[in-house]
Amino acid sequence: MLRVDLKKQFKTNGRVTFTLDVNFSVQQGIAVLFGPSGSGKTTILRSIAGIEVPDEGRIELSNQVYFDSAAGINLPMQKRRIGFVFQDYLLFPHLTALENVGYGIKSSNGTERRYRAGQILKMLGIAGVGDRYPRQLSGGEQQRVALARALASDPAVVLLDEPLSALDISTRLRLLEEIVDVQRKSAIPFVYVTHSPADAVRAGDSALILDSGRIIQEGKPSEVFNAPRSSAVSRAVGSENVLAGTVHDHNKREGISVINLAGCQLVIPYVVLPKTTPVIIGIRSDDIIVSRERIGQTSARNLLQATIKQVVRDGQEVDLLTACGVDLKVRITAQALDALDLQPGTKVYLLIKASSCHLLS
Amino acid sequence: MIWPAFKLSLLVVTVATVLIGVVGTGLGYVLAKRQFRAKELCDAILTLPMVLPPTVTGYYLILLFGRRGWIGRYIYSLTGWSLAFTWQGAVVAAGAMALPIMVKSARAALESVDARYEMVSFSLGKSELETFFRVTLPLAMRGLVAGIVLSFARALGEFGATLMLAGNIPGKTQTMPLAIFEAFISGEDRQAQVLALILTFASVATIYLTNILTRSQRSA
Repeated sequence: MLRVDLKKQFKTNGRVTFTLDVNFSVQQGIAVLFGPSGSGKTTILRSIAGIEVPDEGRIELSNQVYFDSAAGINLPMQKRRIGFVFQDYLLFPHLTALENVGYGIKSSNGTERRYRAGQILKMLGIAGVGDRYPRQLSGGEQQRVALARALASDPAVVLLDEPLSALDISTRLRLLEEIVDVQRKSAIPFVYVTHSPADAVRAGDSALILDSGRIIQEGKPSEVFNAPRSSAVSRAVGSENVLAGTVHDHNKREGISVINLAGCQLVIPYVVLPKTTPVIIGIRSDDIIVSRERIGQTSARNLLQATIKQVVRDGQEVDLLTACGVDLKVRITAQALDALDLQPGTKVYLLIKASSCHLLS
Repeated sequence: MIWPAFKLSLLVVTVATVLIGVVGTGLGYVLAKRQFRAKELCDAILTLPMVLPPTVTGYYLILLFGRRGWIGRYIYSLTGWSLAFTWQGAVVAAGAMALPIMVKSARAALESVDARYEMVSFSLGKSELETFFRVTLPLAMRGLVAGIVLSFARALGEFGATLMLAGNIPGKTQTMPLAIFEAFISGEDRQAQVLALILTFASVATIYLTNILTRSQRSA
């Protein structure tokens, strides 16, 4: 159990330019810290590790106080049971993979250290690279060794600072599954900093969304990313359409409300708001279905005619930027793109369930 | 004259290099990794022998270590012995003259080690001392060895400060550079030539070795 409560101000020329003020706890599993760069994610990790000293607050791990400004406690890094995994691995270049992993093992017996380091490498599926030096390893292998090294020191929490951002997409996905797997086996909490919504949703048991030094929402990742409660969260989590409109009409009996957007209308679940109230609607880009034909009988309450303005490919995933009076981005697969022969200028129908449209703010 | 001077030079320079290798690395570490207010002033004072005339450095060494010197008087009253006019005095003189090179090289070599490696070591529960020996030192080794080689060469060529503190006693404090001077003055050109050749060869070897050490990219 990790409890973090910290405040820290950053000053430039005597003026406060950034204030970090967060309070959260991690019971079990993987907690994702998500937010734009400069939102304070890394500073939180560094404070837990003892690299950075908060102005005030309290950090506690497994009933041991690491930092308490009121009691004047600030445990040095060496005494904190943390495993830190960095974006650029930082393996000791003068040691082999096995020696790197064995470095933090607290045992005076060299044979036992090597044996335990070997076991951990085996668990991560890289038993064969023990004799190699970091420069002889691929990026994915280096990050596995770095993870193994962090785990080998018997930490009470593992802190991962954007561990996958230097890797290619297929390695990322595989390694992400392995990180989840390793967490389940080790049963210690992981704190995982990322700016990838996909990684956050896939790996996180809980997610903390940070913006300008504050936690603006926390909860299950799918919930946080699919149902951001404020426009700040929605913008921080990305891949989300944020639409400004006004309440046009209600049908309480049928449980719907109609929203006027700039150029079209949207049916959403019933909201208790007076007509003409300005609202902001969020629709996740992958909650929208694209059809080339007008489909009559469906449960989707919204059928919008739109024109594709641009196709943005990102590996196997594609964002269609469409216009239907308002701009909407739609996440589809590359396969769907090819099968439907979608191009800029193509006229399409967008199907959106009312319940996929949620009210932000 | 040649053989005793050669033997003495070798002894003096070896002892001096070992001493300043250790002391210089320690001072370089403090200058590279610690933040304190008088840091650059300390660096300047340690560098002083590099720019001062060697005789001035020698003069200061006498003020410090002479029989009536600030430190020397206590050594003398305790032991009845003084550093002046001994081979140990030659070691101190050569060491003082070569120390700036060692400190500069060590500071640069240790500063070039990414501090985050040390951070990782701390996070794995290692003390600063253990981190120094197992991470910082190995990663800085190449630069440190280059510094040691250069210091060795500087100590080997030491003349002025040695003359001031240790004098020029054949067989006792007369190192090779002093022997060359004396041979030349007394018209023994042959001896001067041989000694000059030995020192030239040693210097070429030093520069060659330093270049190899600092150029190669493969880590130690």
